[in-house]
Amino acid sequence: MPSGNRPPAAPEASGRVQGHQDSPVAATWIGGVAALVAFVLVALLWISHPPSRSAPPTEAGDGTSAAGTEDSAGFRSAAWYLPDDEMLGFVEIPGGPFLMGSDAAADTLAFANERWADGRTQRTVDLPTFYIGRYEVTVAQLGAFAQATGRTVDSQALLGPPDHPVTAVSWPDALAYCRWLETKLKAWPQAPPQLSQLLRDGWRVTLPDEAEWEKAARGTDGRIYPWGNEPRRDRANYEGRGTMPVGSFDCPECPFPLSDMSGNVWEWTRSPYTPTLYDAKEVREDLEADALWVMRGGSFADPARNIRAAIRGGADPGVRRPFIGFRVVLSRL
Amino acid sequence: MSARSRRTPSGKPPGPGGGSDHVQSVTPAPATRRVFLLPLALTLALFLMSFAPRVHDNAILTRSFWSAAFVLLVWQAALFLRLTSARIGRSFLPRLRKQHYVQAVVQFSVYAYWGWHWRPVYDYLWLLLAQLVFAYAFDILLAWSRRESYVLGFGPFPIVFSTNLFLWFKDDWFYLQFLMLAVGFLGKEFVRWNREGRRVHIFNPSAFSLGLFSLVLIVTKTSNLTWGQEIATTLTLAPNIYSFLFVIGLIVMYFFSITLVSGFAAAALFGLSTLYAASTGVPYFLDSDIPIAVFLGLHLLVTDPSTSPRTPLGKSVFGLLYGLGVFVLYAILGAIGAPTFYDKLLAVPLLNLSVQGIDRWVHAIRYSPLWSRWGQDLAAAPARTNLVHMAVWIVFFAAMTAIGKTDGKHMGDSLPFWQQACEDGRRNACERLLQLELTYCRDNSGWACNELGGHYTQGRIVAADPDLASGYFSRACELRFQAGCFNVLEPGRLSQAAPRVIDLRLLLREGGRNLLDTPEPELFARACDHGWTFACGRLTGSL
Repeated sequence: MPSGNRPPAAPEASGRVQGHQDSPVAATWIGGVAALVAFVLVALLWISHPPSRSAPPTEAGDGTSAAGTEDSAGFRSAAWYLPDDEMLGFVEIPGGPFLMGSDAAADTLAFANERWADGRTQRTVDLPTFYIGRYEVTVAQLGAFAQATGRTVDSQALLGPPDHPVTAVSWPDALAYCRWLETKLKAWPQAPPQLSQLLRDGWRVTLPDEAEWEKAARGTDGRIYPWGNEPRRDRANYEGRGTMPVGSFDCPECPFPLSDMSGNVWEWTRSPYTPTLYDAKEVREDLEADALWVMRGGSFADPARNIRAAIRGGADPGVRRPFIGFRVVLSRL
Repeated sequence: MSARSRRTPSGKPPGPGGGSDHVQSVTPAPATRRVFLLPLALTLALFLMSFAPRVHDNAILTRSFWSAAFVLLVWQAALFLRLTSARIGRSFLPRLRKQHYVQAVVQFSVYAYWGWHWRPVYDYLWLLLAQLVFAYAFDILLAWSRRESYVLGFGPFPIVFSTNLFLWFKDDWFYLQFLMLAVGFLGKEFVRWNREGRRVHIFNPSAFSLGLFSLVLIVTKTSNLTWGQEIATTLTLAPNIYSFLFVIGLIVMYFFSITLVSGFAAAALFGLSTLYAASTGVPYFLDSDIPIAVFLGLHLLVTDPSTSPRTPLGKSVFGLLYGLGVFVLYAILGAIGAPTFYDKLLAVPLLNLSVQGIDRWVHAIRYSPLWSRWGQDLAAAPARTNLVHMAVWIVFFAAMTAIGKTDGKHMGDSLPFWQQACEDGRRNACERLLQLELTYCRDNSGWACNELGGHYTQGRIVAADPDLASGYFSRACELRFQAGCFNVLEPGRLSQAAPRVIDLRLLLREGGRNLLDTPEPELFARACDHGWTFACGRLTGSL
């Protein structure tokens, strides 16, 4: 564009400057320009290789583990901060039938979406054995994943204390973590033998589906909360201000040794959301549907009604909210 | 004439104006103090602008403003001390130049029209204003560091406006925008050569900094720090943008006789595109026969009279080479995987460097019998000849518009066309398909992201890459495209689905229309017209 046109008589065009000091000044200025250009180059190179996001420090381990230099209570730093027990936190849920859905007569707080498509309020569902995480996935665990894979996760997800449930994770983030963990466990020589065997047999680390989640939460007898039929403030983190460390509440009355199935954070499942309960085997995938995926369990921000074992929520898979997290399952798909 | 040879007998250098522009060469110190109030005020204005909500909301942007103001303040303080101690004066030389204010008005009209249809342009006005303030202060200080007078006019306007018509750095990297402007002014001041007996700048100032920064951004793969891609594509959101640019381009052509440059550049691009399409069966450029940002460039970037040839034949060659340069650079950038929107920016500095060669060539052949008559005719009455050239250009553009080569429908933007062309094994068709889908995926079309994931899963038209595929499926899912979610859940079984309504609103933008509020039946009709067969079925169903 004609931004700098000069008529012949213009002073600049003649190169006439006051006190013209040809070579030294010109050399200085050319040097200045070169320095500026060099600065741009260095700045952009630096920008193109930014320092990695803060995450728990690593130790050598098996060369691939992204684990801290010290164990935190109950978790193994050399095992990606998984729980320090025989099965790295995977708790067996024996195969067999359980009562799924809400009986509105017994549970006056039930929502309409907790019944079955055929109109029944509850139904017996038979599930094979599966293993579910004792705790919700923690900030430290997701940090290990983010550091090992370089996957960009929401900065809010890694800001919490390491033993709190991770939040601000999308549904694909949660599944990516599951897939990464499966790969790591399969390749880890120190993995518990039973776990290794299951993985060799084709079991998959993934998110629980609705039925798996609900059975793990309430057991087989159709109770409303994991510990019984009444809400208890000493059993779950709800109507509160924020997340609490996973496993903060003992629950001897619960059917399985799992923590925070009620409250703390909502948990993603691998079930697409529908207005009523459905059996994954019966319903064809609707690829045209607007994507919503089921989350379960309620959160620290919810009232007692929303932490019932049968509670169902549908969430946009791309959302990253400070009250949605997840736990993993080991299942034979 | 050199500076030394024009020194006055007293040994003092003459005033900066030369001839009638002479001003007092040495001003007393009090005058220096007064004139320094202007750069000081500009610096203060820049600092105060950092408290505007648009700026203050971003800490890095605020610090960029402060840093720029600080540099200006230190510079003027050092200059002021040096000059007052030496009792050397500085002054302003007010002069309004048509090529500056006409250009500024024309460029501003582009911002106004474009911003009406793409809101971020209006949101950007504060930052544009800040750059103007910075540019004036920088240009004044640079001039006073080198000579006595600063020619005060609208000079910085076209440099700032044209730079920003092609490249903005995002807020977190905005200090690089100030640096880019500074490099433009420094290039104009120091990168000079002797041309026709005068020492003039080699490069178009904005094109110099744009070209340099483009090169660095390409090498460092940091184009995502800028809005370059968005700028290049969102111009088409303004309806009939080609016609708009054509009309305002006529103003520039009328005043500055650059019709031959723009006309020959456009003709070269139309011609090459047509040849390519005729030989391969697929269009060369994706969105039109001349990408809209290139069309803007050939009116407002390449046409600086002081850095382009002055003879009619030279201008014609210059325009042809620009068209050819853009055409070739588009292919090269695409081949190396760099964003292709740099094509129009990289070509200009290269052409600026070739100006003397073109001048020599024209000089050599103007005496040949074949050219001498034409050259003489062209040079005889430049103003009248320019009007003739403009008339030819108007006819040419009208013809191109009539056959749908400008604002009309362009098959290069039709995804079904590229899917079919890829299936048929047409030249570069699969690469273009991937490129288009990538563009739409970045525009938040879940369908496009899912298709990309499918390509990287299947490994049929591009090498299989499970990690990349997983990333695209995740993106599709986060955009609520359910098939993408099932692909995340079960990577071994590829799920695909037709575009949703929200996808169609993105995929069918071609001629630049904003389709966000288009009624669904109209949208399906448009989709059907673009080759989406599923949409034809839905259209039939809805009737």
